[in-house]
Amino acid sequence: MSQANATRNAQTAIDRRQNRQGYAFVAPWLIGLFAFTLIPMLFSAGLSLCKWDIVTGLRTIEFVGVSNYTRLFADRKFIKALEVTFTFCLISIPLYQVMSLLIAMLLNMRIRFMKTFRMVFFLPSIIPVIAASMIWSQMLGETGLLNQGLSQLGIKGPAWLNNPKTSLYALVVMGVWGIGNTMIIYLSGLQGVSEEIHEAASIDGANAFQRFFKITIPLISPTIFFNVVMAVIGSFQYFTQAFVMTSGGPLESTLFYNLYLYTKAYKDYQMGYAAAMAWVMFFIIMTFTALVIKSSSFWVYYQSDDKI
Amino acid sequence: MTVQHSVNVKSVKLGPTVGRLLAMLLLFACAVFILIPLVWTIAMALKPAGEIYSGKFLPVVPTLSNFPSAVTSIPFFRYLLNTLVIVVPNVIGTVVSCSLVAYGFSRYNFRGKRVWFLVLLATMMLPGQITMIPQFLIYRGFGWVGSPLPLIVPAFFATSGFNIFLLRQFMGGIPKDFDEAATIDGAGPLRVYAGIVMPMCKPVLTAIIVFTFMGCWNDFNGPLIYLYDSQKFTLSLGLSFFKGLYTSKWNLLMAATLLVMLPVLITFFFAQEYIINGISISSGAKG
Repeated sequence: MSQANATRNAQTAIDRRQNRQGYAFVAPWLIGLFAFTLIPMLFSAGLSLCKWDIVTGLRTIEFVGVSNYTRLFADRKFIKALEVTFTFCLISIPLYQVMSLLIAMLLNMRIRFMKTFRMVFFLPSIIPVIAASMIWSQMLGETGLLNQGLSQLGIKGPAWLNNPKTSLYALVVMGVWGIGNTMIIYLSGLQGVSEEIHEAASIDGANAFQRFFKITIPLISPTIFFNVVMAVIGSFQYFTQAFVMTSGGPLESTLFYNLYLYTKAYKDYQMGYAAAMAWVMFFIIMTFTALVIKSSSFWVYYQSDDKI
Repeated sequence: MTVQHSVNVKSVKLGPTVGRLLAMLLLFACAVFILIPLVWTIAMALKPAGEIYSGKFLPVVPTLSNFPSAVTSIPFFRYLLNTLVIVVPNVIGTVVSCSLVAYGFSRYNFRGKRVWFLVLLATMMLPGQITMIPQFLIYRGFGWVGSPLPLIVPAFFATSGFNIFLLRQFMGGIPKDFDEAATIDGAGPLRVYAGIVMPMCKPVLTAIIVFTFMGCWNDFNGPLIYLYDSQKFTLSLGLSFFKGLYTSKWNLLMAATLLVMLPVLITFFFAQEYIINGISISSGAKG
């Protein structure tokens, strides 16, 4: 009896030590979670219900209910920003996914110089966004390389970034340059597809297209899923290139959502309005992510159950 | 390996050379598209002022003088120092805090561990814009806006969920026997963490150091929001400022751009495998 008690006491002592030491180790993250995420989130939610011009100080803060949110949808520029961002998403996400998957498949063919090619395709992804923006501002300028090339063919190209008809598409083309990250993820997904399955299917008479759509695509569907979700999140946060290269212009043709949010917060100092914009963005991203997750049960195939 | 290879050769018997050649050609064309802007940047950086609009791809009389000019036209070394003041503490803070937290999640069974870990994964999905404005206001209250502190301090509180996740996965693969042996020899938890587990995490720590360095070096949004005194600019912010000042001097701009890119390019060439493995693990496709 007393021995059982002693073991139980020893057990609770171990538990207590596990708790104490465990929490001590994760303490930096816990403090950071509250200080840099949870408290700011609450603050941000409250702020989005207030009108506050930061210049005049805390005294002028004023509760306005949901009017920041209702004002958003009457804001012509906000609607324009949504339009620009959605257009960019609709064009760039399918384009980048298909291209990076295609390149990943070519690289997966075990050809010679595979490592060199992989390095070349990945290279633009590590170049600072600001540097890439500088390079492409030059390339796409009125006398830039692209137009110099076109003039050889007798075509006089516009200043691609200064023309409201072409500016957004110019940014889409520039983005192709940076698909290396997505490509690497597809490549590692493809490397997980065993060759025996392909071998077996081709013995059974499946041609290359059938093998691609019936074997490769289902087997790498978790990777596609991951990349699409990341692309949606990334597109909504698109900022630096538009800020540096076009400043949202000309004629607001590249006024991305995040760029407008930045302008409202740090140029116009309308913190409440900008906070409301951030929450709407969060809601849009969550909706899209949820849609992708919901639809994934139809097209994502997991080989094992132990995915997180 | 050899068996797999022979199977592979047999399976593409129909047109191994034609298929491969086509793939090679296609890859080569894509690689040219990727490399042209970089070669063009180098070519432009070597052009004397008179050749900027010459219409020729390569400089006729290449010159290296754009590099010293670029470095003196902007306070390059001041910006470099400002950047390092942010980068170095970020790397140290991230490595120390994230590894401590990962060790806690990997080695202890504290109450609520599962829930906290799920919270950690959830925060990785949260767009930064939600917390950006309140954080700015809080730092403003502290009087930190205009200084690099808002760009440094968070790194010491394990704010990168991704790094914690990566480290925890790796630590999970290190047998606990090592810890237990050290504990029996009288080592405390911190000694076990620093003396036994950390040295074994070298590959994943290398990846994290490289990611943090590159992320911090390339960061534009953070410095843009918090640093408005041009004396405190980082290199990436300084470069965009430079673009506004010297709009038509593309040779200088491209020389400066190359100088800013150089450290990341060098890092990439030496740490390629770590970077590519880290990215593959992040997607769950591997590891």
